[in-house]
Amino acid sequence: MRTPTAIATFGFIFLATTAAQAHAFLDHANPLVGSTVASAPHELSLSFTQNLEPAFSSVEVTGPNGARVDAGKPQISGNTMRVGLKAAGPGTYHVHWHALSVDTHTTQGSFTFHVGGQ
Amino acid sequence: MSADNNLNDPLIYVRALHFAATIAATGVVWFIAFIGEPAFRDAKQDTGVTKLVRNRFAWIAWIGLLAAVLSGIPWLVLTAESMSGQPLSELSSQGVLWTVLSQTDFGRDWLLRFVMACVLGALFVRFLSAEGARSLWLKAVTVILAAALVGSLAWAGHAIGGRGVEGLLHPAADVLHLIAAAAWAGALVPFALLLTMTRVDAASLTAARTATLRFSTLGIVSVATILFTGIVNTCYLAGSIPALVGTDYGHLLLIKIALFLGMVGIAGINWLRLTPRLIQNADVVAAQNARRQLSCNATVEAIMSAAIIAIVAVLGTLPPASHAHHHAASGAIPADATFQHIHGENGMADVMIEPGRVGNANATIRLWNNDLETLDAREVTVTLTAPTAGKPTTRVASRDPDGAWHVDGIELTQPGNWTVTIEVGLGDNGRLMLKAPIVIEPEH
Repeated sequence: MRTPTAIATFGFIFLATTAAQAHAFLDHANPLVGSTVASAPHELSLSFTQNLEPAFSSVEVTGPNGARVDAGKPQISGNTMRVGLKAAGPGTYHVHWHALSVDTHTTQGSFTFHVGGQ
Repeated sequence: MSADNNLNDPLIYVRALHFAATIAATGVVWFIAFIGEPAFRDAKQDTGVTKLVRNRFAWIAWIGLLAAVLSGIPWLVLTAESMSGQPLSELSSQGVLWTVLSQTDFGRDWLLRFVMACVLGALFVRFLSAEGARSLWLKAVTVILAAALVGSLAWAGHAIGGRGVEGLLHPAADVLHLIAAAAWAGALVPFALLLTMTRVDAASLTAARTATLRFSTLGIVSVATILFTGIVNTCYLAGSIPALVGTDYGHLLLIKIALFLGMVGIAGINWLRLTPRLIQNADVVAAQNARRQLSCNATVEAIMSAAIIAIVAVLGTLPPASHAHHHAASGAIPADATFQHIHGENGMADVMIEPGRVGNANATIRLWNNDLETLDAREVTVTLTAPTAGKPTTRVASRDPDGAWHVDGIELTQPGNWTVTIEVGLGDNGRLMLKAPIVIEPEH
């Protein structure tokens, strides 16, 4: 292969590739990040960009009055984390997640969602 | 975390030692099996020098294996500390180490690697003797196990955890990359030793010639494998040219690639100029000079590969270039900031307001497309609406050199659930609007 062709091939492979996610970031959540839902959900589901280590990944949810409303240890399968929620009425719910990806790196983040018309 | 700040991390030094030790142990095993013993056999020589060379190889193998096992312990402890967030003193009392070993991919990999290292140690007792290295079965098992020991390091790095095709292709490429690197770089010191220690006589020259020809073959196969798998790894971990040239991770990776290319250049000189001089029979003096030059070049290459290992040790502790920006946005939010991640159909935004309380604040906005690549935006306006009815504050954001958008001096007049609206003018004249609540705390 001639040198310019080799360089062009290398460049094409390089530019055409989609970026990898070597740490686990929140990909999407249900209820959606920042969304407003009509009634209090029974479960929070978080999907990440990488598979998680269940032993060291967690989520905390606090309701409108500041009290914890998550049902404790989340269920983690692959890249998805689910936790049951206790009903706490309308208002703003705060979610704080902590994820350990299988490549041993930790990430964390937080967001809110709203129940009712607020 | 920058590479400079990162140098205080003891994990870097532990990783460097472990990589170097594992590569040395694996490299010398492969060298003995594929190069050293065939060279001694061709020379029909089992003299004092041969025994001395074998003895040196055995020392490298044993010290490498022992250092790999010992450095694996602090790597495990430091990783457990990072995973659990517990201080070192609490790790054993709270059973964290056992949880890591039994319930995480990293821990299970470490247990498996410890068992492999023990079995390899048992095999070394016979393999490192003149008789043992002639046994085909023992040679095959030892070579495979040594490759597995270095290849399984892939499960302690950035290559795992991907999904779909990446989940298969990236670890496979990394395993091959590690084995090929160990086969080449790990064999450089034994190669230099063999060339240096063989005496200036006909039999020794025969051994040096056979070793050089075989090392050339091993080198070509290894370099081709390193190049191909390195491109795969770079594509996954750097993601794009801007990420490669604009991050600490990318800069270190470029230095690593430059060092590798330097080694390939030296290998090219060895292959094209020095090897033909060594194997020709007409001029023994020229052949001996070529042998000395080859030994010197192999030593230089070994020093360059040590520098590459040091870089690899740092790279494993840095977020890969492909998403360093994303890590900065959602993984390292200042304690007094408020953060909101907003998803839309055609893109998303990470909005950070610092400090996230009543008073004067700054907003930082990072925009992504749905592939988590930086969104190509022409202009960005930020509108903040207070919880009670009032005139919204709308400001045009300015772009930072790192691609983030910035608004300074926003007056937040009251606590509660504000609404933040991000309007983005896209490069193709399209528009994107992202809107979400964001919580502002009372003034201190």
